[in-house]
Amino acid sequence: MRRSDFPFLGFGVGLRRPHYAHVLENRPPMDWFEVISENFMVAGGRPLEILAAVRDRYPIVMHGVSLSIGSADPLNRRYLSELRAMAKRFEPAWISDHLCWTGVGGRNLHDLLPLPYTEEVVRHVSRRIRVVQDFLERPILIENVSSYMTFRESRLAEWEFLRAVAEEADCGILLDINNVFVSAFNHRFSAEEYIDAIPVERVVQYHLAGHTDCGTHLLDTHDHPVCEEVWALYARAVRRFGAVSALIEWDDNIPEFSVLVQTAERARQIYRGAIGAKAAGDGSSSEIHSEPAL
Amino acid sequence: MVPHLKSIQSLLYRLITAPSGVGEGLAAERGLPAGGLESVIRGDDRLSAQDRVDIYANMYFYRLLEVMKEDYSATAEVLGEVNFHNLITGYLLEYPPTEPSVMWAGRHLADFLRDHPLSEEFPFVADLATLERATIDVFCAADAPVLEAAEMNSIPARRWAAVRMRRVPASAILQVQWKVADVLRAVEEKRRWTQPSRVSNRILVWRRHSRVSYREIGSGEAEALTALDRSRAFAEVCEMLARDLPDNTAAGEISRLLAQWLADGLIMRSSAMRRRALPHPAS
Ligand SMILES: [Fe+2]
Repeated sequence: MRRSDFPFLGFGVGLRRPHYAHVLENRPPMDWFEVISENFMVAGGRPLEILAAVRDRYPIVMHGVSLSIGSADPLNRRYLSELRAMAKRFEPAWISDHLCWTGVGGRNLHDLLPLPYTEEVVRHVSRRIRVVQDFLERPILIENVSSYMTFRESRLAEWEFLRAVAEEADCGILLDINNVFVSAFNHRFSAEEYIDAIPVERVVQYHLAGHTDCGTHLLDTHDHPVCEEVWALYARAVRRFGAVSALIEWDDNIPEFSVLVQTAERARQIYRGAIGAKAAGDGSSSEIHSEPAL
Repeated sequence: MVPHLKSIQSLLYRLITAPSGVGEGLAAERGLPAGGLESVIRGDDRLSAQDRVDIYANMYFYRLLEVMKEDYSATAEVLGEVNFHNLITGYLLEYPPTEPSVMWAGRHLADFLRDHPLSEEFPFVADLATLERATIDVFCAADAPVLEAAEMNSIPARRWAAVRMRRVPASAILQVQWKVADVLRAVEEKRRWTQPSRVSNRILVWRRHSRVSYREIGSGEAEALTALDRSRAFAEVCEMLARDLPDNTAAGEISRLLAQWLADGLIMRSSAMRRRALPHPAS
């Protein structure tokens, strides 16, 4: 997998139901949209009509929630076939899912659960990612999840685990900056150390989202604006990783489309600021690998 | 490796889905390692291991409860919040989600309701859930080319008898025992719903231009539309419809129904028609 195999899409937002009509009727300027793959795994009707119409006008990325790459269950071939058929029809710029398990014993929890961070699990997961990539005939991205529990048997830090899986599977990384922040609070690790340990050449996309402070823990709710600490972490990531497509996720208390546009624009401004600062420093403007200055 | 991972994931699955919470789920566990859950999950001064699994248990239940409320908004309104909450608790035990898309999680709710004690107090609610489910299934059923009235009218009348007809996949005919279409319409229009009467009736649910509609239909129409699950000659359909109609009104009633079906987009264009339409004179 080479990062240059993936286009730089710019600054996009997740396509959600309350905005379907606005996007189709007004074709607002937007660099790209991310869609939840499972929401479009239907035989026909409005969902597929909408996706086809959006795809006609914008680049899209397919983001899944049920691959369950870390499950002890066998991979779901029917699901993979549907994913492949959907990708054939809609030609997404790439396909992503989460570094987690979502169910076991043929049952689905519809949630993203963390794994024990051990060498054995690295091998289990990376082997499965390779099978998926062979089946889909393209490299995929895996995303770090927000989590609320860690396993006693874990021997690696979360970032070491993510890095090891991505390298052994030779896949890309979707780095969710908010998830890094949430998990850093919940498990008392350094979000900055996490970002700085992720291999630059594997990061293809960011997620930016809001969370809820429950006092004892942060909950990844995607129902708030992106908080200032997460923006600061994003700025640090931009300086490290350079030209990486960014996406705003908002799944609950979904605001007007214009709020999403403003949020994506803020991500663009931070990116430009970092690129400008870097270009002024050493004359280069595309890939920025310098140490953070924050 | 996989057996070990499977045992950890299975343990967490049981605890997260335990109907009375993680605590009771833990009490029922046999064969937990010495040291209990804390020997598997790391707790700290902020949250114990059990608290941490509890976060997932709450998210599991409330996420699915929200999906069910959205998919079955009329059923939820009729039953009330507490009843619906308890219904879903039981439902998830009997029918835990298995599909990748959460949209299938509630597909067995009507079946579950039929034998549920709530059906004694609300005997029509299983029929109502059946109707609500049908609107979801029809909403995302397969697309099909529709036979438009203009096209049917362009066929010479003498050839109508032989025209092959089939119902579009985005349609369903339900047989219910209560007048639940009235209840669903009231809830959708934010009116007060009233107890429906107990009368065996049939409801057609269909999609036209992405919009799902439903209406009660008579037994003759239901029989003919049900038969159109597979391709039939128009003459055969007419015969079926005529069976229940007095001779003097049959022809008028049949043409009225056909016009309605065409206006509703219920009939598929046959592949023979599509082939005929292909060589366009203008192209
Ligand atoms: Fe994310």
